[in-house]
Amino acid sequence: MAETGTNRAEKTLSLIDCDIHSQNLGGMDLAPYLPDHLRELRGTSTPGSLWSNPHGVTRRDVAPKEGESAYEALCRQHFDEFGIDYGILNRGPLSLGVAADTEHAVALARAHNDELIDNWLDRDDRFLGSMLIAPQDPERAAAEIRRVGDHPRIVQVLFSSASGLGVPYGRRLFWPIYEAAAAHGLPVAVHPGTEGRGTARPPTGAGYPSRYIEWHTTLPANYIGHVTSLLTEGVFTEYPDLTFVCVEGGLAWVPHLMWRLDKNWKSLRVQTPWLERPPSEYLREHVRFTTQPLPEPDNPEHLRQLLEMMHADETVMFSSDFPHWDNDSPTFGIPPLPEELHRAITVENAQQLYGLPDDPAELG
Amino acid sequence: MSDRTPHVVCPARELPPGERRLVEIDGRSIGVFNVDGEYYALTNVCPHQRAPLCAGTLTGTTRATSVDDIEWERDGRVLTCPWHGWEFDVTTGETVFNPHRWSVSTYETDVIVNAEAVAAGEAQPAIETHPVDIDDGVVVVYV
Repeated sequence: MAETGTNRAEKTLSLIDCDIHSQNLGGMDLAPYLPDHLRELRGTSTPGSLWSNPHGVTRRDVAPKEGESAYEALCRQHFDEFGIDYGILNRGPLSLGVAADTEHAVALARAHNDELIDNWLDRDDRFLGSMLIAPQDPERAAAEIRRVGDHPRIVQVLFSSASGLGVPYGRRLFWPIYEAAAAHGLPVAVHPGTEGRGTARPPTGAGYPSRYIEWHTTLPANYIGHVTSLLTEGVFTEYPDLTFVCVEGGLAWVPHLMWRLDKNWKSLRVQTPWLERPPSEYLREHVRFTTQPLPEPDNPEHLRQLLEMMHADETVMFSSDFPHWDNDSPTFGIPPLPEELHRAITVENAQQLYGLPDDPAELG
Repeated sequence: MSDRTPHVVCPARELPPGERRLVEIDGRSIGVFNVDGEYYALTNVCPHQRAPLCAGTLTGTTRATSVDDIEWERDGRVLTCPWHGWEFDVTTGETVFNPHRWSVSTYETDVIVNAEAVAAGEAQPAIETHPVDIDDGVVVVYV
């Protein structure tokens, strides 16, 4: 380094937050970014939820103060408050992914990405962005990745964790998305919220739940379906540089999946000969999980055991989900953990996955 | 009454039923609530993840003896945390879901008329011995 030997302080990161919803503070208007006819005919609405949260989805205490912008409110209450070095803006509308009108969905994803680039990503060195795609149209989703995927602050491809096509995301029809993402060095991520909406099937195979508590609690079942599909269909054999990020999908199911899949692979490998190693090894290499909502067992030791079982030192990345109703505090949302594990979860795993420099200003 | 120190919150007329005031006393943030003419004070920190509890919604809650017998109860005295919706009974500081295990600190409150004496720290306010006209009084919290 040119500056070796100078007094320049070494920068080290202290916290990377992998799931922030800036749009819930306001300040995101996609209408101007839509083609004229869609703005007139369709606007920006996407399929709504059948299940309502009694407290609302956004925290009650986060609305910007009078005269304060959404950007300022976001920095004051989150980035500055908790000393966040990098935060990934995962914005909606995710339910474009389960919209019946694919043309509208594709246009909304483009509008979102253009607005993100125009108004947010260059505004603050700490901001990283997830680009949206319409997964129900994989070819045009891939084209969108090629269009904006090289922006230095777009660090991943995001879409709804609910598939709008009735089949899980490992199926070959989705592979153009993975091919484009891998070619651009971008992980692909899914985020919940759209389960049971629009053209998505019931949130789980059990059928439609009655209330939000039931809907929210069973969201991981959908993730189990997708991750198992991705692993067994051979996505990571075909795209060895691809990483799939399960945002807000829970953690406690991961040991079950690894163990049952490995056990079954020993008996049923004949169906999936492209899996040359136990499937859990592909999972450890290619699948990542964000923390929030972190399980809160009565005995905190059980959480530490869970993290060990799922190789959290490799697979887990901190997320707050700010400012949603179930967000985890960066300070008090994680119980005491061994120092190395804490650092892997709060900084290193995300820094490595997204290729982040120690100095956010260097990202460009 | 209390052996703690009284601190003036505000004139009683500025804290009508259903309203709240946040006060900072000795570095502690405390919410003072008027519930149907009675005053209650509790710490502004949720024990779950230390969210600003007193910024939450004041509402009621449900109780059921069976799935067909649901009552809306405690209307106006259940404070839901603005983050995760944990419910606290303002009159006791106890959570609805497990009152014995999870609760927040509460503080005594009073309405007294001699505000100057309170501010000077020399008052021994006792609502029992001094008839109080609430409209002219001040709300105090003992911390």
